[in-house]
Amino acid sequence: MVSPELISTLQGLSREEKFYVMQVLISGLAQQETNLIKPDQSYPVWSPYDAVEAADTMLKVLQAAKNQDHA
Amino acid sequence: MRNSERYSFISSGAALGEASFRPFLPLTLVHQQASVTASGLLDTGASVNVLPYLVGVELGYNWEQQTTALSLTGNLAQYEARVVVVQALVGQFEPVKLVFAWTQAKNVPLILGQVNFFMEFNVCFYRSQLQLEISPKAIVSE
Repeated sequence: MVSPELISTLQGLSREEKFYVMQVLISGLAQQETNLIKPDQSYPVWSPYDAVEAADTMLKVLQAAKNQDHA
Repeated sequence: MRNSERYSFISSGAALGEASFRPFLPLTLVHQQASVTASGLLDTGASVNVLPYLVGVELGYNWEQQTTALSLTGNLAQYEARVVVVQALVGQFEPVKLVFAWTQAKNVPLILGQVNFFMEFNVCFYRSQLQLEISPKAIVSE
């Protein structure tokens, strides 16, 4: 949580000091974002994206299984 | 969402910190007398559900008896796949039939995709809170 004292301290800073604090925070956030994915490492993507024909076949098999249950 | 359940994202390893959290959903798969408790990756980009080879074996499926072959895409395209229909239990919800592409790949996660997991369940992701909320489709259509 951000304390009221911290806000009060920040608001008491000069214009230059406020810009400096902003720059420190923004560069820290940007660094965290780039750390999420490391260079020289492989990240396998297993998603069968756009496997439309497979999806269509599977829906037909599923429907047949449901029909069999109701028969 | 009414009649919903919340689950936490699960970390796949501490090395990547915040980036390592994934929306895995615990579920039980049942086929005849066999049942397997597993964690399925909720993958909205996946066209289909994917069952890893060893989980299918644990459920008692025989590869040769599954006659409907499939061609998958991406990394899974290099592996043969067959169709299986499995009874699935999620949380306290009614059992549903899930159709899976049973792949010969062994190092793939169990994937819950558009056909037909997301046709059966509504899911809301709260990634910033590392939470997800799930409810069966029938409740929403009331």
